[in-house]
Amino acid sequence: MDEKDHEILQMLQGSFPLDSEPYRVIGDKLWLDEVSVISRIARMIESGAIRYLGPFFDSRKLGYNGCLAAMNVVPEQIESAAAAINQFSEVTHNYLREGKPNLWFTVIAPSNERREEIFAAIKKATGVDEIMIFPSKKLYKVKVDLD
Amino acid sequence: MDAKTRQVLCELQDGFKLETRPFKRIANQVGCSEEEVLKILVRNRDDGLIRRIGAAVRPALLGHTSNALVVWEVSAGRVDEVGAALSEMREISHCYERECPPNWPYNFFTMIHARSDDELEQIIADIFQRFSLGQYKVLRTVKELKKTSMRYFEAAEK
Repeated sequence: MDEKDHEILQMLQGSFPLDSEPYRVIGDKLWLDEVSVISRIARMIESGAIRYLGPFFDSRKLGYNGCLAAMNVVPEQIESAAAAINQFSEVTHNYLREGKPNLWFTVIAPSNERREEIFAAIKKATGVDEIMIFPSKKLYKVKVDLD
Repeated sequence: MDAKTRQVLCELQDGFKLETRPFKRIANQVGCSEEEVLKILVRNRDDGLIRRIGAAVRPALLGHTSNALVVWEVSAGRVDEVGAALSEMREISHCYERECPPNWPYNFFTMIHARSDDELEQIIADIFQRFSLGQYKVLRTVKELKKTSMRYFEAAEK
């Protein structure tokens, strides 16, 4: 990634131009033509630096409730536990972390019942009897803005 | 939400296409004008249903290889002050006050991204000192096991 890629990334992490030709708008600001903006973004997607480009929805305003959850799993069981957790489309993030508990995942469910159903299924599949849950009380920031 | 809006958002939820007129494609798929697609995006962004439009990055691939969930014990009276200040830090991507189980004293959650372990430790030490916070816990990221964007709209609802 060169300087121009970083500049494009900065703009994309800020606000995407809502214009009929958004990549031309970005190019105009960075002295690049539209085609090179598109091919640079394509390269960053291919390399994995960008994992998504589009709208981010407010799950609460769409009637969903999001929740962070954590459970502790012994090392040899991590792979199978991850599979049991990740099978649900409602689980959007799952990370192995140092410390205890070590598996941290987010569940975005349309109802509390559905959420409980997911937790029950995970407990059953893994044999882990405690899932700690951390519902959000107040959101101060969610925005990855790195260069 | 009207049917047209739902259709447009459904088409957009997997991200924009890399082509010169990405919104025209959606308009053609849904059967409305490009202007209408843009209006729907603007309206829903202004209403807050869309909280942001842009890119999601993978910090590790941008050189931020040392990442951690750091959880802090912040007294109820100071949560807003700490939350507002920490939100300003670029190294912090996520900042939440959360309800916690009884055996968990850390009510304030931050995701911190650094370019090295030393930098991460420095950032944490600075925050700790600056706000003279109580206890905290560093849960370093070992491995990403899943990271996707939620799909809220079903194509079948068309």
